[in-house]
Amino acid sequence: MVLKVENLKKYYGKKREIRAVDGISFEIQEGEIFSLLGPNGAGKTTTIKCILGLRKPTSGSIQFSGQYGIAYVPEGKELYENYSVERMIATAEELTENFDAKRCWKLTEEFNIPFREKLANLSNGEQTLLYIALTLSQRADLYIFDEPTLGLDPIARNKVLERIRAIPIENEGAAVLYTSHILSEVEKISDKVAILCNGKIAEMDLLDNMKEKFCSIVLENVKLPDLPFIVKYKSTSSENVYITYRADAERLGFECKPASLEMVFEAVIMNQVENSNKG
Amino acid sequence: MLEVINLWFYIDFHSHVPIYQQIKDNIKSLILRGTFKPGEFIPSIRSLAHDIGVNLNTVARAYKELETEGVIRAERGEGYVVVGVDVENLKKQALEELRKAVVKCVKLGISIEELKNQIEEVFKDGAQG
Repeated sequence: MVLKVENLKKYYGKKREIRAVDGISFEIQEGEIFSLLGPNGAGKTTTIKCILGLRKPTSGSIQFSGQYGIAYVPEGKELYENYSVERMIATAEELTENFDAKRCWKLTEEFNIPFREKLANLSNGEQTLLYIALTLSQRADLYIFDEPTLGLDPIARNKVLERIRAIPIENEGAAVLYTSHILSEVEKISDKVAILCNGKIAEMDLLDNMKEKFCSIVLENVKLPDLPFIVKYKSTSSENVYITYRADAERLGFECKPASLEMVFEAVIMNQVENSNKG
Repeated sequence: MLEVINLWFYIDFHSHVPIYQQIKDNIKSLILRGTFKPGEFIPSIRSLAHDIGVNLNTVARAYKELETEGVIRAERGEGYVVVGVDVENLKKQALEELRKAVVKCVKLGISIEELKNQIEEVFKDGAQG
């Protein structure tokens, strides 16, 4: 186990009325790529900041175990604007333990970053790529990426995703914590996914399990069966499409149709919002 | 001797079919086609993960299940060796799929003669299509 988060809470405001993170627990194992997936404002970044010690949790515990530490690419990237790329890499080598400058040069080349240029003259995308290259060149037990592909073109984005995927392959035992609201990216690189909504984990499982666990069923306008999870996904004039657990649907003899991660994501979020409105 | 093995297969990340399942199906069909023969090593978890662009854990899960099903076996410290695919079981699965397809055809009003023609054509063509 690399990271264990238990019942983490982070409340803001005078009366602690803003519950940015509201009691979440998860574990990240060695070699695992773990994604926090959720709409804007779900609590992804706050969770990460608590893990990094940049925010003090209201309550809960965070346990990290490893010998090298955590490498982190924040959502807003700040680098020394007056430095050239070359100098930035040299500085990172001086300041960072277990930093592999050769590897960083290789990544810079792979990401097509002009290495003589001042950082201020790089495009936003290039700055992001440089930050990612610097992070990937550091030996860590846990690599945290907060929306790393924001503002990257599709080719650069795929390069970054491939590099993130390779982290556990190239660094024995290393794990990744990755946040995104882009489903197609999460589908491509995650082992495990936690769907975050209103500061709570609404669903968490291996991505492959999630695909098997849910299905869609089509019902004519009849009384809804009483099931632990059933969310209306779509309505036509005479029928409704629901997302539910496959096991329940099969038990009741419904015809199970596939549900994409996109459908599951929407259903899980809708269900969570509904429940918190009730509560 | 230079031998080109056509190993790479396509993984559809957005499919509702779990990725480990897609890997299992592809390995089985590579064994059925004779690309991997009983007693031979299949690619290591690491190298397959790298080649097809899939996470280590996912390939590990697929291999573990293939091992449980008796399709491959672990050679201590060396990797995985092909045992063989349970052809009878696959035949059963294929027939079940055919049955579903036939039901669909019947619902669409396709006659038994048309279905027979289709089947005979496939056999005439040598069942490669």
